[in-house]
Amino acid sequence: MLKLVITRPSYETTTKYLFAWNQKVIKTAKIKSVETTDLSKQYATKRNLTDALFQSKPDLVFLNGHGAPDMIAGQDNEILIKAGINEDILKGKHVHALSCETGKILGPAAVSIGAKSYIGYKEPFVFIASKGKAAKPLSDKRASLFLDPAIEVSLSLLNGDSPTASYKNSQKATLKTIRALAASGKKDSFLLRYLFWNLKHQVCLLQTK
Amino acid sequence: MTKNTLQLTEKIKHLVKARLAVLPPDSLISIGSYGSFTKTELISHVEKDDAIGRVITEIEMEYLRSLKQGIFYA
Repeated sequence: MLKLVITRPSYETTTKYLFAWNQKVIKTAKIKSVETTDLSKQYATKRNLTDALFQSKPDLVFLNGHGAPDMIAGQDNEILIKAGINEDILKGKHVHALSCETGKILGPAAVSIGAKSYIGYKEPFVFIASKGKAAKPLSDKRASLFLDPAIEVSLSLLNGDSPTASYKNSQKATLKTIRALAASGKKDSFLLRYLFWNLKHQVCLLQTK
Repeated sequence: MTKNTLQLTEKIKHLVKARLAVLPPDSLISIGSYGSFTKTELISHVEKDDAIGRVITEIEMEYLRSLKQGIFYA
């Protein structure tokens, strides 16, 4: 049976959207009978994550939240994992980081120390939301054009797909959205530049040893 | 900075601000840990040429370069 540890901080607009979208991931994990440790909101702390990874020994780790090239954060921006400090806790795991820039330093550091794979972004992850939708993020159709393709990585990994296939599924989903928007010629074509940005800067790092 | 580079930088700023100006007024642009911004706020960051302004400029310029390379025909 697959095991998953997921962090879902929620304390301002961006994390509230990521939190909401990852409800779909949690639901899929339940359907697939994946043993899930959901570290949401105030439970998304460094101590809880470290304990969960040690005790549950998951195959999959999904990290959602703010990031920088060398670190990823949890609730209220608490640093959960930082390159050179504790990236070794990801050893032996397949990691999906829906976060900014961690594909630059943290991802490579984790893979070099033994993470099986790391899928994330090497530049800021950008999405466009609609004003007034923050209370009900899942009703924000504009944001769904960005976040549905992004969580495709997590959904594919839960489905048993390889990291490479999961990355490709996410890229295909983004491209499908791009093509549909470009063909429609509608006013939402202004979103294309941001979708291209995410597409170009999403990375899939694999253990080669 | 030479006069030509300065002129180019100003032209790029002007271009990016013009492109941001056409965004719908109800859109909020989330740029990771920098936060979420309205188009007016982004235009201001581009004008100030701060870290957020530079990210948004890079997004615009990368997209325009890709268009020139024929991304829709790949």
